[in-house]
Amino acid sequence: MTTLHSSARRGHSEGWLAKRVARFLGYSILITAGLFLFIPIFFLIVNALKVDSEFHTWPPTIFPSIPQWSNFVQIFQLTSFGDIVWRTFILGLIYTIISTFMTSMVGLAFARYQVPGSKRLYSIVIAMMFVPGMIFTIPQFMIFARIHLTNTYWPWLIWSLFPGSMGIFLFRQFFMNFPKELEEAAEMDGAGPWRIFIQIFLPNAKPVLAISAIWSFSWVWSDYLTPLLFLSNEKTLLPVALQQSFLRPSGQAYLTLTLAANIIYMLPLIIAFFAAQNYILKGVVTTGLKG
Amino acid sequence: MSRNKQRTLSFYLFASPWIIGFILLGIFPLLVGLLVSFSNYDGLNIDVVKLVGLRNYTRILTDSDVPFSAGRTLLWVMVNLPTWMVLSFLLAIILNQDIKGRGMFRTLYYIPSVIPGVASVAAWGVLLDKNYGLLNAFISLFRPGTAIGWMSDYALVGMALIAVWGGLGSGMLIFLAGLQDIPDELVEAAKIDGANSFQVFRYVTLPLMTPVIFFQLVMGVIGCFQQLNLPLLVSKLATNTTSTPPRQVYLYMIHVWQQIYTNQRYYYGNALMWLLFIVVIALTVLIFWSSKFWVYQAGGPEGDSK
Repeated sequence: MTTLHSSARRGHSEGWLAKRVARFLGYSILITAGLFLFIPIFFLIVNALKVDSEFHTWPPTIFPSIPQWSNFVQIFQLTSFGDIVWRTFILGLIYTIISTFMTSMVGLAFARYQVPGSKRLYSIVIAMMFVPGMIFTIPQFMIFARIHLTNTYWPWLIWSLFPGSMGIFLFRQFFMNFPKELEEAAEMDGAGPWRIFIQIFLPNAKPVLAISAIWSFSWVWSDYLTPLLFLSNEKTLLPVALQQSFLRPSGQAYLTLTLAANIIYMLPLIIAFFAAQNYILKGVVTTGLKG
Repeated sequence: MSRNKQRTLSFYLFASPWIIGFILLGIFPLLVGLLVSFSNYDGLNIDVVKLVGLRNYTRILTDSDVPFSAGRTLLWVMVNLPTWMVLSFLLAIILNQDIKGRGMFRTLYYIPSVIPGVASVAAWGVLLDKNYGLLNAFISLFRPGTAIGWMSDYALVGMALIAVWGGLGSGMLIFLAGLQDIPDELVEAAKIDGANSFQVFRYVTLPLMTPVIFFQLVMGVIGCFQQLNLPLLVSKLATNTTSTPPRQVYLYMIHVWQQIYTNQRYYYGNALMWLLFIVVIALTVLIFWSSKFWVYQAGGPEGDSK
């Protein structure tokens, strides 16, 4: 009886110590990973506040001797950054609105209309997730070049009309769990499929609309390869412009100004992430786990 | 009957953007690409374009850059994929414990995943620059005069750092969601049977996580094989041009890109692309086939749970 009792207690205290060690180890790894993830952002910010000559000194300084907050203003005054931001933003906005609408419509079709052939078509939608995208992009580029649509923004408009697999999947998952009652009531009242889509499904799909909109926008905003391939330097979008650095009249690059531009560039996405983080994290999980 | 017809009509109307897109932007380009790979089309010679049989494909056999870039790609897969998967799984396991600030860590870790590739390479460029980079400055404290070309001579390492950095958040998130789907009863039952933490992980958690690991593996392999963005950005940083990527990161897709973008050898680029397409599909099929030996399937993770 006593031996049983003491061994149980010893087991308990061992567990306690092991738990302590495990917890300490856990936190150490979390903090190390946190540092790894934040060091690049930190040094991007402090270096964006330097003058070019201080940025390229050896040994490098950590903090700028005089923080150049004006870098964030000068990038707009001295370079075409502002124009390109505006251009990319407008294109992103148009793309996002059309694309999100079209995707939600297709998602609804696959969620609610089980008709002959729909299952088979949906399996193609899913299969397309596993196909390397460049096998389509490269010939698309040749086709668009042939019909003189390269170096215009038309390709983005065309792409926005035809939804991709991930978004369809997301909307389908959401609409499938949508209660049938509302829809049936509307049907009783004589509403057709289009009205049910516009008046019942769409207004109630805000979480997925938000995820889809953020995905669409951040594709236009972030994608580097497509503008590089499809647009000339005069018409290009932010990612390519940033990556080529902004140049002084002398032809030399504005180094720290470009870093400041990069910070401005990533801000909208970070803000959108914080504004809609629950939706976004859920969206990543849905498409990542249930696919 | 007429209701059924109406529903069928509605379905095809609602689904038409995808169906038309699939034909116009999917099937059609695919066939054009295939046709071009058997031709001499370079974008300008439409009047004299002709089929050349297998010439572009036999050329692959004698192109020494193909085995080289394929080797770099395999190395890239082997360096990047396991590092990313193990680290994001590890973070997920820790965050799945009853830990203070769990939600905050989860959110903060995800931030790099929303930062566009261009900006993350710019940020890492500050750290990894050969001459002025802070990493070399830090190492120089111990070994003065260190000038390691993280973006040139060791560009694969630098690139893996950037890729893991950018992918850790989303990888962790998906693993974490998988872990949270594991029923507590199973873990508790194993503990009551006397299993220690390691045994619980090995015999309960890991088997139940194989569907998630499988999914991450498939998407990771596809992603790694067509990696083009990062090596292009890195080569721009290293050489100030995209037209001469460092050999370190001369991945297969870079070789394809060089044909299409730099040399306008559309015919050859498309042949290379089709080779990659076939290899990736074969690999995907292989992984799917292998899944019956190691992926846990009890009713399957897909379907009705959410």
